[in-house]
Amino acid sequence: MILKENIDNKMHAPKQKNGKLEKIYWISILIVFGIGIYSIITGYFMEGMESTNLSNIVPWGGWIAFYIYFIGLSAGSFLLSTLVYGFGMEKFEKIGRSALLSAIVCMITGILFVFLDIGRPDHVMNSVIYWNVTSTMSWEIHFYIVYLVLLIVELYFSMRNDLIVVAKNDNFKGKLSRFLTFNKKEYTDIDKVKDKKRLKIMGIIGIPLAILGVHGGTGSIFAVLKAQPYLNSALFPLIFIISALVSGTALSIAIYVIKCKVKKQQVDTSMIRSLGSMLSLFIVIEIIMVWYEFLVGFYGLEHEELGTLQLIMGSPYSWSFWIFQMGFALFFPLVILIIKKTRESINWILGASVMVLIGVVGVRFNMVIPTLIMPKIDGMPYGNYYMNLSEWLTSFGIIAMCLILYTIGEKLFPIDEIDSHENGVSKHE
Amino acid sequence: MAFNSNNHLQPEDYSKLADHFVPDSNKVLAASPYDSQLGKNMARDARKVINGSLKIEDFHKVYSASLIKEFGDQYASGPMDTNQNSKAKSGTDPKWGMVIDLKKCIGCDTCTVSCKAENRTPPGVSYNVVLETIKGDFPNFSITNLPKPCMQCDNPPCVQVCPTRATYKMENGIVTIDNDRCIGCRYCMVACPYGSRSYDFGTSYEQEMAGFNDVTSPEYGVERGKRKKGAIPEETVRKCSFCYHRLQRGEEPACVETCIGDARYFGDMNDPNSVVSKLAASPRAFRLKEELGTKPRVVYLR
Ligand code: SF4
Ligand code: SF4
Repeated sequence: MILKENIDNKMHAPKQKNGKLEKIYWISILIVFGIGIYSIITGYFMEGMESTNLSNIVPWGGWIAFYIYFIGLSAGSFLLSTLVYGFGMEKFEKIGRSALLSAIVCMITGILFVFLDIGRPDHVMNSVIYWNVTSTMSWEIHFYIVYLVLLIVELYFSMRNDLIVVAKNDNFKGKLSRFLTFNKKEYTDIDKVKDKKRLKIMGIIGIPLAILGVHGGTGSIFAVLKAQPYLNSALFPLIFIISALVSGTALSIAIYVIKCKVKKQQVDTSMIRSLGSMLSLFIVIEIIMVWYEFLVGFYGLEHEELGTLQLIMGSPYSWSFWIFQMGFALFFPLVILIIKKTRESINWILGASVMVLIGVVGVRFNMVIPTLIMPKIDGMPYGNYYMNLSEWLTSFGIIAMCLILYTIGEKLFPIDEIDSHENGVSKHE
Repeated sequence: MAFNSNNHLQPEDYSKLADHFVPDSNKVLAASPYDSQLGKNMARDARKVINGSLKIEDFHKVYSASLIKEFGDQYASGPMDTNQNSKAKSGTDPKWGMVIDLKKCIGCDTCTVSCKAENRTPPGVSYNVVLETIKGDFPNFSITNLPKPCMQCDNPPCVQVCPTRATYKMENGIVTIDNDRCIGCRYCMVACPYGSRSYDFGTSYEQEMAGFNDVTSPEYGVERGKRKKGAIPEETVRKCSFCYHRLQRGEEPACVETCIGDARYFGDMNDPNSVVSKLAASPRAFRLKEELGTKPRVVYLR
């Protein structure tokens, strides 16, 4: 049935319209990317950090917030993919590869953001050469490299069977696939068993790496700072991880549903519904954690921490907390995912995921900036920080690059499983 | 290190100068009552000692016998002496500390200004600031002026977090930054509980003050020549160094020297008889944010 519908859809779908949509997508994204590159060159490379609104009081800003946002997306979608490859939950098989691909792309994006935030790109290799064992950031840099390699290898093995199928074609994709599979002609059952095992091992190594190394570790970059009492709590890395899961799940839902809509394929409703309920579970856990974090913070009566909480919740900056962090990232999606009517509709679930994706940006900003604005010692001035135009343009440019990389990945590699909808194959022939 | 800059004479140039000073140097030297070949050899090796390729102990080992032969009792120091000296010294190397008497501070900001002049810090970078706070309501109120340099913590959080070990604790107690290694990530700035670190955004006073860029201060004893766009220390992190370059020449930090109320004391905390050691033991003494366990080397007297 499903197959027939797909084919029907394909026949009815006016091909031109899709082509036009794609053209608009590419043109707009390339424009944003181009502007971003321009602002990186004129801002970052020609003026250095002077081109940002950062100051000695607020030395970390929007780029760092985006960096942890993307690292979170990456860790979250990777953990989701381990459900498929590590724990063999075949139900989610359809999103496995795209979750891995988005984990890779988001990781690259995150690393690029933090690279831009470094004042001396010419010294950057020092952070790999001179390892300070007490520095969480130094550990992170090394973890990121290992993690990225693991992700790429895992994606490769997860799609090797389909690469061999694609390699039979004579176009560029076929050649690329032939190169990647070392001209392997046939995918035997032995290969299949072996690859499954490899994937399982990598998925399982990846879990502690993603949780402790990449995301918990990124959380500890902030949590170990005793100079920032608001961040200095053992719960903080855990909040990091759980909000990574929230945003990663939302990203996978959004990518899958949007892709199906664009390609006019049937959406796997039951999978999206169970992903939706997973998302609501993660949101509930996050709400609980954030609640205790604030509760203990308030009872601490510590001057700086109270000041930071006040900045977050009741200052000219607090719209980002109430609208983005509380509203978009936690409350609205939770309501959507709880009410019976909306939690079963694909469109509502998609809406909730997109809201989460926007809201978590606010969550990340609130982790970085308010605590820095709060003066460290009585008599020091309050900071003031908003991203300026150059920072925004650069950020949008990098986000456009993220989309470009993802789309190219989807186009070049068999990210959708070929045998799960056979018209995929017919396209290549 | 001054030799490295192109505007200066190179070591060879000095030799040339000396060579042309007299028509035939060997003839002049031969007239001396002492062994001129020994002198020339020593001069050659002394240069090696200066550029670091020869240890001073080895230098003494090589020459002390000939020197005793040549000069007899007039020759005062030998290899044994220097060895003993360095061993005896290692326990008592100075560990610098500062004491600031808040009762004497009038909040005139002389230290801030003299620090800017001494370290030639760019706009927005101040190694030292004076924080003024008013507590209470009229007529029962007090004004505190809190001069705040880098605390040179003994357990420095900034050193803990630096990913490249660009910032580290020296044996003399000073926390230093190797600007040639710093990647400018600013993690240390976020980690410092005292807000002591600043980022060099590459700005300059050149607009208001002609020639500002021509000289930089030899921080940590490193002569860097002119301040140029993109040259170190721009786009790296900077902070108070207890005027390490002044200490090397035997001078006090600029803020201590210029303080008009003599509110600042500077000295060796390893020496129990130094003024700073005594003041640091006074019941008036306290340190900022002591509860954090950072162990600042700057002590305040309340
Ligand atoms: S005061 Fe700040 S910069 Fe200075 S040593 Fe302590 S932590 Fe480091
Ligand atoms: S800015 Fe420089 S000194 Fe500070 S933590 Fe980064 S690399 Fe170390």
